[in-house]
Amino acid sequence: MSGLRLENITKSFGAIQVLQPMTLAFKAGQVTAIVGDNGAGKSTLLKVMAGIHKPNAGAIYLDDKLLTNLSAADHRACGVEMVYQDLALAKQQNVVANLFLGREQTRTCFGFLNRTAMAERAKNELNRLGISIADLNTPVGMLSGGQQQAVAIARAALFEPKVLLFDEPTAALAAREVGQVLDLIRQQKEQGRIVILVSHRLNDVFAVADRIVVMKQGRLISDTPTAATSMSKVVENIVG
Amino acid sequence: MFARLFTQNQNRLYIAQCLLFLAALGAFFSLASPYFLSLGNVNNVLTAGAVIGLMAIGATFVIASGGIDLSSAGVMAFCGTLCAFCLQKGGWSPWLALPFSIGLGGLCGFLTGFLVNITEAPSFIVSLGMMSVARAAAYIVSKGMPIYGLPDNVISAGQGQMLGLQVPVLLLIVGIVLAWILLTQTQFGLHTLILGDNAFAAQAMGVPAGRVRLKTFTLAGIYSGVAGIIFMLRTNSGDPTAGQGYELIAITAVILGGANLFGGRATIIGTVLGVLCLGVLQNGLNLLAVSTYYQTLFVGLVLIAAAFLSRVRSQR
Repeated sequence: MSGLRLENITKSFGAIQVLQPMTLAFKAGQVTAIVGDNGAGKSTLLKVMAGIHKPNAGAIYLDDKLLTNLSAADHRACGVEMVYQDLALAKQQNVVANLFLGREQTRTCFGFLNRTAMAERAKNELNRLGISIADLNTPVGMLSGGQQQAVAIARAALFEPKVLLFDEPTAALAAREVGQVLDLIRQQKEQGRIVILVSHRLNDVFAVADRIVVMKQGRLISDTPTAATSMSKVVENIVG
Repeated sequence: MFARLFTQNQNRLYIAQCLLFLAALGAFFSLASPYFLSLGNVNNVLTAGAVIGLMAIGATFVIASGGIDLSSAGVMAFCGTLCAFCLQKGGWSPWLALPFSIGLGGLCGFLTGFLVNITEAPSFIVSLGMMSVARAAAYIVSKGMPIYGLPDNVISAGQGQMLGLQVPVLLLIVGIVLAWILLTQTQFGLHTLILGDNAFAAQAMGVPAGRVRLKTFTLAGIYSGVAGIIFMLRTNSGDPTAGQGYELIAITAVILGGANLFGGRATIIGTVLGVLCLGVLQNGLNLLAVSTYYQTLFVGLVLIAAAFLSRVRSQR
């Protein structure tokens, strides 16, 4: 069966069970939003899918390949990319270094960087995504919040992933920048990727998501198509 | 316009600041002393700077990765003393004693990095421990006394010239070039900077953080080992008390050269300029017959200024 599947995933930190047994499936070309109050376990679930946290029990499959207990790097190699809430950017390094972070192109077995090829590919990828950054040699910390978010998304999209995980991608952005980021998320969906979004901002969720999953205290409360629910119903599920 | 130039060329700006400081020092001392710009004195500055220079280059990698290595002077003394012991007491061939001693310097660095990785303790604590261990090893090997009487062929090779340059200066140049290539042209160099910049990002994106840290400390150990050999050759002895306090001068030089004390930004050229600034300062004060107490005071003030500058730079 194609797509991303979670089967009876649980996760505890010490005595605290953050995720109760959870089974979910995600299809390609669909944006699924995971919403819930603080402490609902949304970000933990996302990090389990990204390989940052290992589940205590259960299994994760991507196109029938078992991912459970693989490292974050292995998850990336299998096509699961995550855009972190704090973006996980190296802010003193330039845009190109951040786009290729951990997957730099090298010339020889001695690890000499192929900067020309990386700069060329970075330029093409940013153009393809419609991201405008005047100078790719600029340290990422000097870019605006929206541009930094765009670099983080471009990095996730650079190696044609199958699954894209977004943790609060619009939380710290101005209104205009939010629109740009939502457009980038739609682009990823149109390219047939599995997009999973964790957000507190329900307006953004209703703007891009095809399906909304509500979590509360580590449990799945509801899982409905966006068209079949309303903001008040979702809020009711979150707080009810 | 200026702001944009500044942000995009931070490294160049810090190097320019360092060059300016060096030029100011040079101008002042050349006016104050007629001997300052003589060929012999310039040679002195470069030769004396080779030991600190090599230690500072090694420290650059550790600082770039977000760590601090306080063991460099201890390792330097240990390697120099051990090499002198092997040559003088053991009768080893220089072809064996030199690589063996430098290799043990690398092993000290490797152990520091390994312990930092497995204990997850701050590197300044672990390296402080290694500093004591290495210094103690130097005392044990030499029984607390300097080892004199190195073979003539070693002394003549070490104090001679090649390509018109003193051997220590030549070794420093080779060390600079290799380090520059490693830091700016290789994946390892970039990973070192990224690890110092954002350790979480580095790990989340698959950068082998532990391996990179291990390599930076090993490299620093090797550079300290070479510095120890140069110190031995210059003094014609293996001195277990060699270079006390040099680790802080090396770190000062790195920060003065524009590195971020908290990691993520460092350049080899900046470090070399930082070493030259400190070397010129000490040499100039010597020429002016300033008391060593005041010399220590000036170096301390430069260290404070460098730390302040690093703080200001990291906030930008």
